[in-house]
Amino acid sequence: MTSPMSSAAAPLQVTVAPGAVTPAPDAPPQGGAGRSPGQLARLRFRRDRTGVVSAWVVLFFFVAGVAAPLIAKLYGKDPYTTYGQNQPGLLNDFGFPVKPNGGIGGDFWFGVEPQLGRDVFTLLLYGIRNSLLIATVTTLLVTALGIVVGITAGYLGGRVDNLVGRVIDVLLAFPSTLFFIAFWPVLISMFVSPEDNTPTWLIVVSLIAVMTAFGWAPMARLLRGEVLALREREFVEAAKVTGASPARIIFRELLPNLWTPILIQATLALPMYVTTEAALAFLGVGLQDPTPDWGVMIQRGSQVYQDDITYMLFPGLSMVIFVIAFNLLGDSVRDALDPRIRR
Amino acid sequence: MSLSRRNFVIATSVAAGGSMVLSACSSGGGGGTAGGGSAGGATKYSAVTIGTKDDSTGPAPEISGATKGGTIHALGPDDFSHLDPQRIYFAWNSTVGNLYIRCLTGYRIASGGSMKLVGDLATDTGTMSDGGKTWTFTLKDGLKWEDGSDLTVEDVRHGIERGFASFTTEGATYLQSALTGTNDFRSVYKGPYGGKHLDSVVTDAAKKTITFHLRTARPDLNFTLAMHTYGAVPVKHDTKEKYDKDPVSCGPYRIKQHSVDKSLTLVRNTHWDPSTDAIRNAYPDSFTFEFGLEALQVTDRLIADSGNDQYAVMAYSGVPAERIQKVVGTPDLKSRTINGLLTGLYYYAINCRRITDVKVRQALNHAWPLEQIRRIYGGPSAGDYATTLLSPDIAGRVKYDVYGKLKKPQGDPEKAKALLKEAGKLGQKIVYTYPQGGSDAYDKTKVVIADALKKAGFEPVIKPVDSGSYYDQVQQVDNKFDVMWFGWAPDWPTGYTILQPLFDGTTIANGSNNVSQLNVGWVNSAIKKDATITDPAEADTAWASLDRQIMEKEAPVIPETYQRRFYLYGTKVGGAEFDPLFSAFILYKLYAKS
Repeated sequence: MTSPMSSAAAPLQVTVAPGAVTPAPDAPPQGGAGRSPGQLARLRFRRDRTGVVSAWVVLFFFVAGVAAPLIAKLYGKDPYTTYGQNQPGLLNDFGFPVKPNGGIGGDFWFGVEPQLGRDVFTLLLYGIRNSLLIATVTTLLVTALGIVVGITAGYLGGRVDNLVGRVIDVLLAFPSTLFFIAFWPVLISMFVSPEDNTPTWLIVVSLIAVMTAFGWAPMARLLRGEVLALREREFVEAAKVTGASPARIIFRELLPNLWTPILIQATLALPMYVTTEAALAFLGVGLQDPTPDWGVMIQRGSQVYQDDITYMLFPGLSMVIFVIAFNLLGDSVRDALDPRIRR
Repeated sequence: MSLSRRNFVIATSVAAGGSMVLSACSSGGGGGTAGGGSAGGATKYSAVTIGTKDDSTGPAPEISGATKGGTIHALGPDDFSHLDPQRIYFAWNSTVGNLYIRCLTGYRIASGGSMKLVGDLATDTGTMSDGGKTWTFTLKDGLKWEDGSDLTVEDVRHGIERGFASFTTEGATYLQSALTGTNDFRSVYKGPYGGKHLDSVVTDAAKKTITFHLRTARPDLNFTLAMHTYGAVPVKHDTKEKYDKDPVSCGPYRIKQHSVDKSLTLVRNTHWDPSTDAIRNAYPDSFTFEFGLEALQVTDRLIADSGNDQYAVMAYSGVPAERIQKVVGTPDLKSRTINGLLTGLYYYAINCRRITDVKVRQALNHAWPLEQIRRIYGGPSAGDYATTLLSPDIAGRVKYDVYGKLKKPQGDPEKAKALLKEAGKLGQKIVYTYPQGGSDAYDKTKVVIADALKKAGFEPVIKPVDSGSYYDQVQQVDNKFDVMWFGWAPDWPTGYTILQPLFDGTTIANGSNNVSQLNVGWVNSAIKKDATITDPAEADTAWASLDRQIMEKEAPVIPETYQRRFYLYGTKVGGAEFDPLFSAFILYKLYAKS
């Protein structure tokens, strides 16, 4: 991961430097008086070619995920039918695709899954859909919760800060994975009769809930620290003197200064939740076959790659592209929002 | 009753790697159809027979081309958990136990894997009288311990009495129960250390005989006594708990050095007389075991075949999924493998307390997708389809296929649906459970099982259970599962060790191995009756016909597979044979080529 990141960063500097440095000081005189900070940020972002490309890539993944059922319908396959098991000639006796390159062909664009023989293309589409849904919702919730708790604790200080601080300490020290493995089956058995299948929506909701419950602490702690530093600054003092309410100070004065850490944290968190969710699935909690999942596919790929590298390739490559694009996008958005920080 | 499950559990956990994926095709390349037969091992089934006095007389037949001397190296992941004979139950410990433990009886394994029960310490396989309640064995002459002292009937009795001691709970319990008439035998007799002997075991030092007076008739006691749990231990050198560290040998090799979890060295026991031993050859001067090596690492070392590894074999863990294609597909490597079926049967138990209608159980048998399941395990090289309750190596087993699984291994949804309709149970809910976490092959098979059940008109409900508590949960009488993944390995190859523990309705209790909870009068009484038939041939026929009747009339389980394992050995190892009993190399038949 490090080498593609750093090599990708090198050209980025080149493109950003001439694009952003020169016009930035010129911008106000050129455009006259009328540009808001938001407009300026948008302008800066549009000039950052890497950022724009990353944005399109990320958008492509989200569109592919959202439109997965439609694409699958046009393509004529679904991710649940075990084609390889049902039709002779697709999988050999060992359960691996008969055709070279993982069984890629006109019928199966990305090949056939080893052993179960499902269609890799639709499996990947639905996997991306499910993983992104869970990771996005979790990231949004974690970020929102982290912002509210972190800023409140940092701004109010005193007893509240102490209490929140201890809660965060406990959460950070908590072996959340172990906890999840131990209590998730208990939780499910409380909601589901032993004679019924566990509904997928319940798994998804409980996954999101638990990952959120254990995930907001780092964000909150980070923001609390930032707020502690900011609240003593002159502009906050000035706002206080003019009689601004705490809410106004938090949302109008402090929050705009915190977007940089929030964005960085959130863009790191989203790909992390995709992998966390995959790891949990591997440990027997979370999404299970036959529900398609991006991370589970990669895990499966790492087990069979010696015999069927193609199966590893598609989910793996798409995950790498997505994660890099998302991180670059995060960088660019931060650069656009905060032109003072130069790398 | 019989806790062969321990025997079985180890087999499963080790097999998991092997059963998971026996893969094909190199990276990126096509898998090809790889004709199943060529990839799978040879299927050789041979039932055990009982040998005569001549068969029991040593020395063991020479292996042609074998040379004496040298060292055989065995590479494996884990150290042996027990060396004390009375604490050995796992097949894996028995592979090394063969080299220094001797019991009254034992199995002489011919080239190709056919087994014959012969006398090991005893001159023959014993004399039964009183309808199977009394057994007498006579000891051979010239039996010695590694210090040169004589091995006496007292030592044989001591080994059996040690099975009652408080520290030998890991061992088998068949004989103890038969001698005392109760499963709680430790409350009756506390072992030989109080100075008291068992009344039911009578020795005669002058005639060299030992006689067992059993409370219940056990016509197959001679098989029971072949278990290492009933191996002889010298009265003089018994160090109780510490005996596990340094047992005294009466076999061809003695333990010279043992550093736990690292290595074990056995050297020739000069006081062992080959003319007393009809079972064991002893060509190498020593054996060394190296522990702590992963199966993949061992395989790569054996493929590389350099230095001492030319004289090395795999100790118990087989060729893993990642390398099986390479090993089976390369003629040079294939010629350096042995393979065989694990003893015992993998099956799905149907909960007869919940699924009371036989037609539904038969429909399940018809619907089950054996082919899809085995393809996930790795196809023919992972094992053979099972259709009977008795596995192929059981004495007297007769092959049958009442549900046509060999003709339609992919399942017969139409027939299943018709039966289900007849029973008026279309849309019957089936709660299927399997252990989750041990091997992810079962996470795959559940998908094809659910598909097949849906096609046959059932409503599948999938409820995996964590592998750590799996057995405890499915062995609860009031569990809420309909179909449960399960497996069973017999402790000796007669029908009793399978049908009694699995289908005797009187054993049903929490923790019982009768997981199907079949409790049918005619089955119970047939088991009771067959267990007391004294003529072995007659008993074998009775068990075989009961096997078929149970499947035909009650269908309490869905047999799945007899699983297979591959082992690799170095170029300078000779005499490699698959042990049909302990599913590993037969160490005492190996020799080092010069």
